[in-house]
Amino acid sequence: MSWGYLIRRLLAVFMVLAIVTFAVFAITTMLPGNAAIMILGEYATPDAVAALEKQLHLDQSWYMQYYSWVSGILHGDFGTSLRLSLPVTQVVGEAFANSALLAATALVVVTITAIPLGALAAIKRGTAMDLGLGLFSYLGTALPEFVTATLLLVFFAAPQQGIFPAGGFVAPWESLAGFGAHVVLPAATLGLVLMAHISRQVRSEMSEVLHSDYIRAARLKGLTEKRVIRRHALPNSLAPAVAVISLDIGYLLGGIIVVEEIFAWPGLGRLLIYALENRDLPVIQAVTLLLATVYALSNLLSDIVIALLDPRVRYA
Amino acid sequence: MTAQTLTKDAPIAAVEKSALSIIDYSLAYKTANGLIPALQNIDLTIPKGKTVGLVGESGSGKSSMAWSIMRYLPSNAVETGGAIRLAGEELLDYTPYQMMDIRGRRMSMVFQDPSTSLNPTIKLGEQIAEVLMRHRGLTKAQAWAEAEAALGRTGITRPKEMLQRFPHEASGGEKQRVVIATAFACEPELIIFDEPTTALDILTARQILDLFNQLREETNVSALYISHDLGLVSRVVDRVSVIHKGIIVESGSVQEVFRRPKADYTRQLIGAVPDPDRWVGVDAPGEPKTLLRIDKVGVRYGAPTKLQAMFWPTDAETVGFWGAKDISIDVRKGELLGVVGESGSGKSTIAKVLAGLQDFEGKLDFDGKAITSRNAIDRAYRRRVQIVFQHPDASLNPRHRIGTIIARPLKLYGIVPKHEIKARVAELLEMVRLPASYADRLPHQLSGGEKQRVAIARAFAAEPELVICDEVTAALDVSVQAAVAELLVKLQRNTGAACVFITHDLNLIRQLAHRIAVMHHGKLVDFFDRVDARSVDRDPYAKALLDAVPVHAGEPEA
Amino acid sequence: MRNFFSTPTAIVGTALLSVVCFAAIFGPWIAPYDPQAFDPLNRLQGPSPAHWFGTDQFGRDLLSRILNGAPSTVTFGVGATLIGVGIGSIIGVVAGVSGGWADSTIMRILDGLLAVPDLLFTLLIVTIFGGGMEHAMLAVAIAFAPGMARIARSAVLSVRTRDYVRAAVARGESGFYIVGAEVLPNALSPIVVEATIRVSFAIMIGATLGFLGLGAQPPSTEWGLMVAEARQFMFRNPWCVAVPGLSIAIAALGFNLFGDALRDSLDPKRSHG
Repeated sequence: MSWGYLIRRLLAVFMVLAIVTFAVFAITTMLPGNAAIMILGEYATPDAVAALEKQLHLDQSWYMQYYSWVSGILHGDFGTSLRLSLPVTQVVGEAFANSALLAATALVVVTITAIPLGALAAIKRGTAMDLGLGLFSYLGTALPEFVTATLLLVFFAAPQQGIFPAGGFVAPWESLAGFGAHVVLPAATLGLVLMAHISRQVRSEMSEVLHSDYIRAARLKGLTEKRVIRRHALPNSLAPAVAVISLDIGYLLGGIIVVEEIFAWPGLGRLLIYALENRDLPVIQAVTLLLATVYALSNLLSDIVIALLDPRVRYA
Repeated sequence: MTAQTLTKDAPIAAVEKSALSIIDYSLAYKTANGLIPALQNIDLTIPKGKTVGLVGESGSGKSSMAWSIMRYLPSNAVETGGAIRLAGEELLDYTPYQMMDIRGRRMSMVFQDPSTSLNPTIKLGEQIAEVLMRHRGLTKAQAWAEAEAALGRTGITRPKEMLQRFPHEASGGEKQRVVIATAFACEPELIIFDEPTTALDILTARQILDLFNQLREETNVSALYISHDLGLVSRVVDRVSVIHKGIIVESGSVQEVFRRPKADYTRQLIGAVPDPDRWVGVDAPGEPKTLLRIDKVGVRYGAPTKLQAMFWPTDAETVGFWGAKDISIDVRKGELLGVVGESGSGKSTIAKVLAGLQDFEGKLDFDGKAITSRNAIDRAYRRRVQIVFQHPDASLNPRHRIGTIIARPLKLYGIVPKHEIKARVAELLEMVRLPASYADRLPHQLSGGEKQRVAIARAFAAEPELVICDEVTAALDVSVQAAVAELLVKLQRNTGAACVFITHDLNLIRQLAHRIAVMHHGKLVDFFDRVDARSVDRDPYAKALLDAVPVHAGEPEA
Repeated sequence: MRNFFSTPTAIVGTALLSVVCFAAIFGPWIAPYDPQAFDPLNRLQGPSPAHWFGTDQFGRDLLSRILNGAPSTVTFGVGATLIGVGIGSIIGVVAGVSGGWADSTIMRILDGLLAVPDLLFTLLIVTIFGGGMEHAMLAVAIAFAPGMARIARSAVLSVRTRDYVRAAVARGESGFYIVGAEVLPNALSPIVVEATIRVSFAIMIGATLGFLGLGAQPPSTEWGLMVAEARQFMFRNPWCVAVPGLSIAIAALGFNLFGDALRDSLDPKRSHG
């Protein structure tokens, strides 16, 4: 992979993030309600409000506010949570770690099952297995997370005979078993949609590759079917699969908002909903920016992986 | 037919000894509309060490034949009878598993397009070596060494280096050599060549053809050479079979088939093969008057932006590449000017400049009026200069009816009054030999040749003085090509329009053009009158091009 | 468009879509009960001949509530998509047609907006506007616009380089004619396909907003809200969450399958894939 390619992609990521900071700032400052009044309550004296506004730089022009916000971020300072009176970095940091645990669990499990399943469905086109996966994937894409989550709770977390806890969080370094029990249902909820999507994409990529001229050529060379699939077909359908997975990360980041809320998982999603309800601007800004950054970086990562998988992209 | 011929001059044992014999073989495809026959009662024999050509146009069933022999048929294929024997062994009796052992080892295949038949993510070396490991049980190291030797035999100068490359790092000719090396790797009894030069440039195609002849002599392999190009096939095969709509209409030695064709279809095919010595163009304009002159025209793709030019003036010189540079040509009134070159030579770039589709540097002089940039091209110029594109499928808006398409220039330029448009459209359709009822059809209801006629009618509707034809026959079948070229000449004769005919087909252009411009790597390398095509002062590249084109073997010596 | 009904996807998709549209048009009139009528004696019942889908925590008939909620659910999905597709297509077509500097500026901004997950984007906008169905619909529409703009732009770009468009340029046609007669009609089908599939996403996001309390407000019969309200009772009567939940899935599935089938029939290359 050429350095030029990597640098160009990195520059693009920075560009995207710069625009995101601007969009996030614009949206959050458009939020209704005066932050100072929200903190002090409706009956605060005008003097107190003015003092707090000064402290929060709300009396400055919007570009000065934007400037001080961005320069704060560049110094690792996201401000102070208006409601929790804690540094945003600390609040968001903990939540981010918890969310990452959930998202990573879901993603890893899904990736190692969905890719082989999708490939298998493409190889065994038209069989019961292929149809079953097709049906499952359609259902997966049509069920919103809150429905899946609710149904999973009904089946697996009923108060008397529940197999898994209905919500909450145990850190894996405290009790691995506890973490496992708590992560199953939320991860399964997220996983269902991802699984549906990724396996379907892998299937369609794989079918396309299996119909390509070079696979026909490989078969006409008398290669064994095992080699045709493993050496010729699979690697070539993997690069597009990686692209899809990286796009799905954007979806996953939206999905955790609902899932964390339902399963009382103390992550970014839950924090965001709390912050939205309480107009905690610095927290909203930080969470949104963080999620967008993760998404942009995962896209970058996938571009790099694709370049490694496909020699044609490396020099593009 | 072939079987009979063979039994006549040899005992039955010869049939058994032949490399491949296909006897009374039929194949059909199951579709929603019932069984569609693809091949009917095919008899074809390839004697040991001989090459047999199978010639037909698209849809003739020639590719189905290849898949049948390789036993690689789609699931909806139904074999309705007959036999395919490889050295006397009935292939139809073998299980798919047994066939896996035969493919690549005892018979192999060379495909049309090396850029799609090689796996883009696997090194060329591995793609040759894997066959050797599979069929000859070599270790990886042995296989790579053998692959290097095999590649060396195909005339690649540094085979070891080539093995380490990926397909996109090799040229078309190099890739096809890799495919050929793979096919020959296990010293098979039979190799099927499926249009192996169609996707390649003229000079590369010639080299591959020479390579084929050389390897055939060295290895004494038997081969089936499938092509649409009768002229080309006549240069490489011993016997030829002509296939039409799934039926072999004629078989025989090359000389026989060419000199005394029995089937009407064969005669038609031979008639359609362009013969450079048979002039079909319009008479040269009596007194040459210049219609258009381009002066030192250049086109630069990926040209530096203003920013780049400002900050990195040294880089700006090297950025991008010249699609065409310093081209100076003149077109005379009423003549047909041929522009030839290989892909990437810049010939289509010139077409785009003339049609006002491409920004350019330099000067364009049309009928005494100088134009120095694309924006300066006005509608009057655009009416007088029309363009016809290569792919008729792409050049007609799929949502417009034929009538609307042809009427558009009439309306746009106000060529005829509104109430006469309908009648004029019918006239134009008549002119390109299509029924007037076609005006109500949509493009997808027409064949490729018919669509190209519509595109030509649209161009002539504007009553132009110059028509640019950008590879207008390249996407068409051989027999249709000849008809389209003939039509163009007729229209030129009737309207007196000049024509710039861009093509890679040298035989065709020598039949049509008064003067020929040869382009290479974006430069004009030669520009000559048609009678001087064979004169000694031709540029070496132009000469190489002219020499590379196979002229069919069977023609009576003039 | 030939043989549209040749695939199971098309048949199932059309069937589901017909059911959903039928419910959306006639639902409120064919509902057997008043969707808001309390029946304290028949709370949280499973399916029975009297109540086909059972009853909720107030004894309200679930079938009647589902039928009553159908029009707003479908209107929400279709409405949000139409507005989003409208805004997005205009931006995308402008970018694709104008090209150059304007195009790259628009695309950079879109890239930035697309980096924010859809649901998060919607949540932010909903919070700006305040809750309620109309605001939620507008929020979903705005969140859809960048993605649609990108699709519209690439549709325009792929058509723009076709030979028939170049032929029009070479003829000296006006930019207006080229865009209106040559480019747009041929760029439309990918936009229509994407829009159909997006209706299913809009329905799901709308329901999610209702579930989070940011969309429809009680006592609305919006399906997402129904799930949220019945959640406390889900262990006593799973039907009261399953029925609205699966209704959402069926509506979404109908649009999704129909869109897929539409894509296959419009693009012959994909139908083999």
